[in-house]
Amino acid sequence: MTAGMARNGDGVAVPATRRTSLWQTALAKFARDRAGLVGLTVVALYLLVAIGVWFGWWATEWADITGAKWAPVSAQHWFGTNIIGQDIFQRGLYSTATAFEVGLVVAVLVVVLGGLLGATSGFLAGSWVDEIVLWTMGVVDAVPFYLMVAAIAFALADYPYAMHVAMISTFWTTTGRFVRGEVIKLRGLEFVEAARALGVGQAAIVLRHVLPNTLHILLVQMTLCFVDAIKAEVVLSFLGLGVKDGMSWGLMISESTLEFLAGHFNNLVAASLLMFGLVYAFNMFADALQDALDPKRVA
Amino acid sequence: MDVLQFALRKLLAGVPLLVGVTLLSFTLMVYFGPDKTYELLGKNSTAAQIAEVRHELGYDRPFFVRYAEYLRELATLDFGHSDSTGAKVSTLLARSIPVSLALELPGFVLGNLLGLALALTAAFHRGRWPDKLIMGVAVVGMSVSFLIVIFAFQIWFCTSHGLNWFPVRGWSAAGPLDYLAHIAVPTLATVFVALGYNTRFYRAVIVEEMGRDHVRTARAFGTPPLRLLWRNILKNCAIPIVTRVMFTIPSIVIGGALLIETAFGIPGVGRVTYEAIISGDQPVLKAVVGLTASLFVLTLLVTDILYRAVDPRVSLQ
Repeated sequence: MTAGMARNGDGVAVPATRRTSLWQTALAKFARDRAGLVGLTVVALYLLVAIGVWFGWWATEWADITGAKWAPVSAQHWFGTNIIGQDIFQRGLYSTATAFEVGLVVAVLVVVLGGLLGATSGFLAGSWVDEIVLWTMGVVDAVPFYLMVAAIAFALADYPYAMHVAMISTFWTTTGRFVRGEVIKLRGLEFVEAARALGVGQAAIVLRHVLPNTLHILLVQMTLCFVDAIKAEVVLSFLGLGVKDGMSWGLMISESTLEFLAGHFNNLVAASLLMFGLVYAFNMFADALQDALDPKRVA
Repeated sequence: MDVLQFALRKLLAGVPLLVGVTLLSFTLMVYFGPDKTYELLGKNSTAAQIAEVRHELGYDRPFFVRYAEYLRELATLDFGHSDSTGAKVSTLLARSIPVSLALELPGFVLGNLLGLALALTAAFHRGRWPDKLIMGVAVVGMSVSFLIVIFAFQIWFCTSHGLNWFPVRGWSAAGPLDYLAHIAVPTLATVFVALGYNTRFYRAVIVEEMGRDHVRTARAFGTPPLRLLWRNILKNCAIPIVTRVMFTIPSIVIGGALLIETAFGIPGVGRVTYEAIISGDQPVLKAVVGLTASLFVLTLLVTDILYRAVDPRVSLQ
């Protein structure tokens, strides 16, 4: 009997049809967005580079000294070499993988954390749970980002993922606020009422009926967060709070400060261009995604 | 009277937030912060000596006693002496905050005014080429890392590899020309990076406001464009704009421009903070973190009260 009612409950959640149509319109709209498609293609190319690094197809000699100090651009060293003779091209490629690792880990966990906390507080808006979540968001937002990261880096001593933890614990509030707002709108709608009337538990309503309807927000927040994480990594690595082992564009730029006053710009230019390409492409992709998913957004 | 009551109620509501930020900065910076015990001890110290030093540093006292001590420090602005330089933290801040303000205010004002101007231009030509050009460049600006902009401008304007017009490092405000020479490149970099974000934000706000019924009605009644812009559009955009401007203030006053000041060797709060981060100078860090966060909460409250001043639609209740 209960099982039958639950199935009915799912059937009653009519927005299923509306949801597919939203995604279909979004897909059609996105397919017409030339800038967005170019952005997506470039991001895919970068991802391919990163996958190659993870599987050890290329950039395997990024840490080796393969040439003279500050060797010029040549067929062997496409972007020249750095201050101790390491190949800048290989280091740049290797850093692409680091960027994706940082971006993906942070973006996914931020969306999970922000989505769950935002949905919970929105669904229980006005209760003490909501108050606590709102208070936490306010507190986290009040501490400036770099100071927060420095503080977390100290508190976690030499934990290699201190940077990830810091980014996740500061970035989630934006997603949380968006999701909270949307859930407050959703929780008054008929399909939620229907689910409740059929005796679906609160957690199940939030997870199965409400959260899936905020997917468009989560997707957009994920792309924005990915970009923020990559950009923050550069600054944090420069400050000595970022990537601990391995190589990243931030570390390359930080390394280049020893070089460019002597007139060697290869490291700086390579890291800057590689990073700019990915961030710019991702920004275009994120823009197109927002246009496609938000019918109310004014382009 | 109403406004006073409203302000008092808001202040009261800010207390939990203030407790939260001080508790957070205390927990991270002081409780789990750098441990100085072994720096003060010689080699092969006995357990008794360790306990004695820990007692002197106050590490053996309970969490809430130490938190109360931190609150007292915040309230009296007395954070003791810097670990690395030995100077009083309050003196250090009093010396560096004016430098940061002098450095950042021009860029902050310019970045917002230019952003607003560009956003208005884009919004009024919505969908046509000026809009597309401005927004296209804005995305480019948003995609460049601040750090790269700083280095690129520094190489371009301040070294013999480029134009070499301005001093590459240092700070002096002896005369107006001296001052301008030192803030020119940092300001350019700040404006360049802020412009992309500001323009996009302001354009979104303005476009939304321009699409409202009352604007269309006012236009239909023949309201002159400038009057329409001021009375019907800009005034209604005041809340998001005031919020954005207000919320940047705490990080400007105390956070300082960490990257700018470090790269250009300017002795502002940002550089003091950077050096404290690098050397683990806890008295300085706990002061900067605690003060910035507290100032942020106060700004939040003031903004709430300001809303009432700029927007009669916000109720006092």
